[in-house]
Amino acid sequence: MISNFGNLLLFASIVLSLSIIYLSNKNLKLNGNQITKHIFQLSLIQSTTVIICFFTLIAAFIVSDFSLITVYQNSHSMKPIFYKITGTWGNHEGSLMLWVIILSIFSFLFLIYNKNHPKKFRLLTLIIQNILIIGFLFFILLNSNPFSPLSPIPKEGLGLNPILQDPALAIHPPLLYIGFVGSSIYFSAAIASLISNYSEKNFASSIKNWILISWSFQTLGILVGSIWAYYELGWGGFWFWDPVENASLLPWFAMTALFHSIIVFEKRNLFYFWVIILCLMTFILSVTGTFLVRSGILNSVHTFASDPTRGIYILSFLSLMIFGSVFLLFKKYKTENYNLNQNSKETFVLVNNWFMMFYLVTVLLGTIYPIFTDALSQNKISVGPPFYNAIIFPVVVIFLIFMSIGPNASWIKNKFDNIKLYFSILLGAILINLMIILFFKNFSILSNFIIISALFLILSSIKDFVVSKKKNNLDLGRIISHGSFGFLVLFIGLNYIFSIEKDYNMKIGEIKKFDNYSIEFKNLELKDFTNYQAVVGEFEIFNGKDRNILKPEIRIYSNPKTLTYEASIKTSFIKDHYLTMSNIDRSDYYNIKFQEKPLMIWIWLSVIMVVIGGLLRFFKNAKNS
Amino acid sequence: MNIKYLLIILLIASQSIFASEKQIDPKEVQKNLRCLVCQGQSISDSNSDFAQTIKMVVDDLINEGLTEEEIYSFMSDKYGEWIVFKPQLNIQNSLLWILPYMALILGGFFIIKLFNKKNKIAK
Repeated sequence: MISNFGNLLLFASIVLSLSIIYLSNKNLKLNGNQITKHIFQLSLIQSTTVIICFFTLIAAFIVSDFSLITVYQNSHSMKPIFYKITGTWGNHEGSLMLWVIILSIFSFLFLIYNKNHPKKFRLLTLIIQNILIIGFLFFILLNSNPFSPLSPIPKEGLGLNPILQDPALAIHPPLLYIGFVGSSIYFSAAIASLISNYSEKNFASSIKNWILISWSFQTLGILVGSIWAYYELGWGGFWFWDPVENASLLPWFAMTALFHSIIVFEKRNLFYFWVIILCLMTFILSVTGTFLVRSGILNSVHTFASDPTRGIYILSFLSLMIFGSVFLLFKKYKTENYNLNQNSKETFVLVNNWFMMFYLVTVLLGTIYPIFTDALSQNKISVGPPFYNAIIFPVVVIFLIFMSIGPNASWIKNKFDNIKLYFSILLGAILINLMIILFFKNFSILSNFIIISALFLILSSIKDFVVSKKKNNLDLGRIISHGSFGFLVLFIGLNYIFSIEKDYNMKIGEIKKFDNYSIEFKNLELKDFTNYQAVVGEFEIFNGKDRNILKPEIRIYSNPKTLTYEASIKTSFIKDHYLTMSNIDRSDYYNIKFQEKPLMIWIWLSVIMVVIGGLLRFFKNAKNS
Repeated sequence: MNIKYLLIILLIASQSIFASEKQIDPKEVQKNLRCLVCQGQSISDSNSDFAQTIKMVVDDLINEGLTEEEIYSFMSDKYGEWIVFKPQLNIQNSLLWILPYMALILGGFFIIKLFNKKNKIAK
């Protein structure tokens, strides 16, 4: 029953999309700048239909209707209700429904919020967006239908992978999807702008807020994913340059480049085609990421749904998008006149884009290079953290310096009258770094350069805050974002340098000592929970001043039968203590890994502050328009 | 004093500094090796039997006096390049190492070209 209803709604959505395209096309030929009410209504109905369709799927998960393959494969009647609901988008089919929801809601909102732009541009955007929607709906219907029936109906489901049963991972996909599926709207708008020759500054104002919103959510999505990786995967890190992580970072670089260059486009009417290329690139990279993750072409920690046949569909869709965009670009490309001064804000924005493209190329290359070597020479290589650290980090130093100076450059032509001030800021940064070295006695050339440049950015941002507050032209959003990015790099750097990691094999009652720490294995308990059993260890960490009790677990989940290791983390403002425990076969010893991770919570907070900066800018824009 | 001597002294001094740092941290090495039986984990992060064995092998190799690079090439000879997270510098991987910098340099040239273009128009 649910299966039929769901399929019906999916069909209805396709029909609605087709009618929107048909009506828009008809409306395009009419005179006047009016869009008929029917299109608005249809677009609203379409979003509603897709949402109902999604709720139908959620309902099927809640009541554990195992007549649907998707529910059978990803749920279990004994699972807590919260994870039954979030399990809806914790799998490939359900997450695609989320894609379509965001595609259609953004399509509707873009239509109603851009009333003062030309009709042709708005309708074309709507048409392109609906072509995307149809593309994804067909993908769902033909290949990844969440409403595929199963018969005979099984009594029990297979359950959701326990490491996905987690609050952070419940909100991670929606956040991330608003980010990179949201970028579809400026993909569509860019194409519409090319077709309708709508290349004035106003085009910028129609999309800039959408870029900011998708960027903010993308950043939050990446953050939540990292936090999850930190406490759930049990290795104490939060970023592994894993292909799936990279896939979320690629569109992020493009977005970041985009919302900087769009400021130039809006103010000075420069770089139109570059802005368009970035718009197209962002969404194309998002789909590329999806392709890489879902096709199973890459090996990764997070691969939760991979199947080669899906890959072929997404790949054809992707190729169509790329060829279409490239073709259109070549057809419409005109050389622009650049009236650019070497020392101006425009140049600094270009420099930002330059670095973003460098990061993008590096990460993209690192992600897909193994595929090529594998295909060409059957030689599988790994491109891991050492590669990215070696290539990216040295460049970050220069990037941060530009990031500090750039925002204060004025438009068109800039005079540097405050070199002295910057010099003293640099001196201050070096001094603080020196104190860090002296105090903690740790030194490596590159990391110290990174810390100096991060401090330089922080101090410059503070200086900007004070100066612009006096002059009463405070751009709080920018200052917070840039400053917090400096803090982010600083905390990551300090965290990297001052992390402690110790590995021991211990049995109950043993005490291990190092430096001024002692770790005591006090107790071991077996506990029963509703959907798993746990072996809980009790450890006392003593570092001369305070005593912490940490309780890492080994969990045995029954549906599906899996073993997971739960880290025990004691968070404080200065540092995290992180302990994992795993059993060693045929012995009473347990393998203990103790880590001290300084300033973890500040890394998360810095990212949140970066996002807050972006949102402040968004609200400021929204108020002005 | 001739600057040559100063350079030589500095060179010797720097070598002695680097020599004293030569002690290899087994943790670092383990972090740069992939656990082949796990999904996307390093040897250091994994507790599988395979990882335990490799950890012991790494300790042995360090005791035998191998350098970090030698340990990596030992591992990749034995298990294939897949095991090393840092792609080796060879012909096959040359593009991987060079292209990012090429992109950086090209980007810089492109920006400089924009200024030149502007100057021509101004003339």
